[in-house]
Amino acid sequence: MNEESKTILLVEDNDDDVALTLRAFKRSHLMNPVTVVRDGVEALDFLFARGAYADKGEALPTLVILDLKLPKLDGLGVLKAMRADTRTALLPTVILTSSKEEQDVVAGYSLGANSYVRKPVDFAEFLEAVKILGIYWLALNQVPPPQ
Amino acid sequence: MKIRTKATIAATMMLGTMVLIAASIGWADAQVRAAIAQRRHSAEIASALNNMRMVTFEFLLNRRDRARFQEQIVWERLERLFANPVALEGPAARTLASLRGQGEHSHRLFSEVEASSGVDSTDEVQRRFEAQLSSRIMILQQNSLVQAEQLIHDAENRIDDAQRRVVVVTGMGLVLMALLTAVTAWLFRRDVLGPIARLELATREVAAGNWSFELDEGSADELGDMARHFDAMTRALRDSFNQLQVSNRDLVVLNKELESFSYSVSHDLRSPLRSMDGFSLALLEDYGDRLDEEARDSLQRIRAASQRMGRLIDELLGLARVTRAELRIQEVDLSAMAEDILSTLAKAEPDRRVRWEIDRHMRVRGDRELVAIALQNLLANAWKFTSKVEEAVIRVGTRDEDGEQVFFVSDNGAGFDMAYASRLFGAFQRLHHERDFPGTGVGLATVQRVMHRHGWSLGASAALGQGATFYFRPTEQVDERREQDHPAG
Repeated sequence: MNEESKTILLVEDNDDDVALTLRAFKRSHLMNPVTVVRDGVEALDFLFARGAYADKGEALPTLVILDLKLPKLDGLGVLKAMRADTRTALLPTVILTSSKEEQDVVAGYSLGANSYVRKPVDFAEFLEAVKILGIYWLALNQVPPPQ
Repeated sequence: MKIRTKATIAATMMLGTMVLIAASIGWADAQVRAAIAQRRHSAEIASALNNMRMVTFEFLLNRRDRARFQEQIVWERLERLFANPVALEGPAARTLASLRGQGEHSHRLFSEVEASSGVDSTDEVQRRFEAQLSSRIMILQQNSLVQAEQLIHDAENRIDDAQRRVVVVTGMGLVLMALLTAVTAWLFRRDVLGPIARLELATREVAAGNWSFELDEGSADELGDMARHFDAMTRALRDSFNQLQVSNRDLVVLNKELESFSYSVSHDLRSPLRSMDGFSLALLEDYGDRLDEEARDSLQRIRAASQRMGRLIDELLGLARVTRAELRIQEVDLSAMAEDILSTLAKAEPDRRVRWEIDRHMRVRGDRELVAIALQNLLANAWKFTSKVEEAVIRVGTRDEDGEQVFFVSDNGAGFDMAYASRLFGAFQRLHHERDFPGTGVGLATVQRVMHRHGWSLGASAALGQGATFYFRPTEQVDERREQDHPAG
């Protein structure tokens, strides 16, 4: 697998956060293609190749970065649906969110999140976090075999 | 009727009955005594009459002067007896009167015999007259004796009657007492024991949580009053319990709202800040070379402010969490906890030279997490405010104050003016300038909340430039109940 085939799905509704996250990827020299979806339903459509993404094929991203507060279906709902489907049950998913509420962390891990990272206000810290995330999940981590 | 009144009536009746019985016994006893006195009197009369008879007989036979004197003496004795009669009534009195008449008659006849005895006794007429007188005297005296016997018999009957009366009166009194006792006992059972048993049942029911239990005691006495007060109390309890439930429900709702509020704050308030910080940095990074010093400074200020706002939000959320958190009371090792916190602080600032002294084996019963938050804030403060002191010393210890254990955290740092102490524990209240000692002013408010949740008291003493001491007094009443009092914890 080369770098280009390791794609990232960023589920994020806030444009600013999308821009900042992409900037952080760029500054961390993560060249992987990033697909951005704006809400939970769109995320599931993308993953399961339905609706607007019916023609994109079954190819799955290497990593899903999931915000919790999303329109229509929230992040925990997306995670639940992903884990219920054999295709995405083992797909590495990192929750990247503003909240550090205990209930969210517990719910996230209970539903099978692989990581829970809080977005810091300080962009320098955010950058550091995204960099570490990218290195770990896209380079270091051994992905499970396709189902 | 009040129980008090009933008791008074019962007691009065008992006493009255007793007085009546005592009086009856006294009266019957007096009857017995009177009858005995009558018998003695009658016996004396009989004895005197007997004497009289013998004396008269002797005189009639021998005509001696001695017998005459004796008759006189006996007559005087009889007269005294007749003159001092024992209280008599009915036939006995009449018998006595007849005895007196006969005695007087006999005495008169005796005088006549005596007078005629001086006359020559050979005279036939005289002798026959005397013989006639004598036999009349003898008959009179015989009659008198019989009547005296009758009197004695009469007195003995009276004694018997009186004694029987004593027995009857005593018996009746006892029966009356028994009756009164039985009635009192029945009344006591009906009016006191019964209602008390119902009250007892009611208290048990209400204690078991049956708020709707009512006695409906109709009686007008004290126990009825008590039952009505009890009902009123139960109603008041029920009302306040219902009110409590309502406000508890409101509180639960409020708590839920607060929770979702802080959830929103946590999510939504921070993301614009992130944008401000991130894009300011982007500007600095991408266009920094085209900006002058002032523009770069402005962007740095925007970043600093955003980050400060982020910290404020985090600390406020922490404060809210302290208020909401469910208490899990357990034993907490304060000494070890303080050591941990201070070591961490020292690691974060290895250039600082701070000496700390921690009393050993300090333990307190509280929520580990909240106590740690409080201690963290107190020690972080001590650490911060000693940053401008050459020989910084932080002490964590305990002392006994009026038999109560008090824990304290003291430092020899900047201290503060006690005049502003009242503002110390309010959120966002600061006693120092940001440029001297940075901070948000939420730390001590958080400590205060932790203490409040535990029901402990928190205090401080300080002087400007001479360090500060914060002390808290854990009361033993910290119990798991507070946990339950806190709806939706």
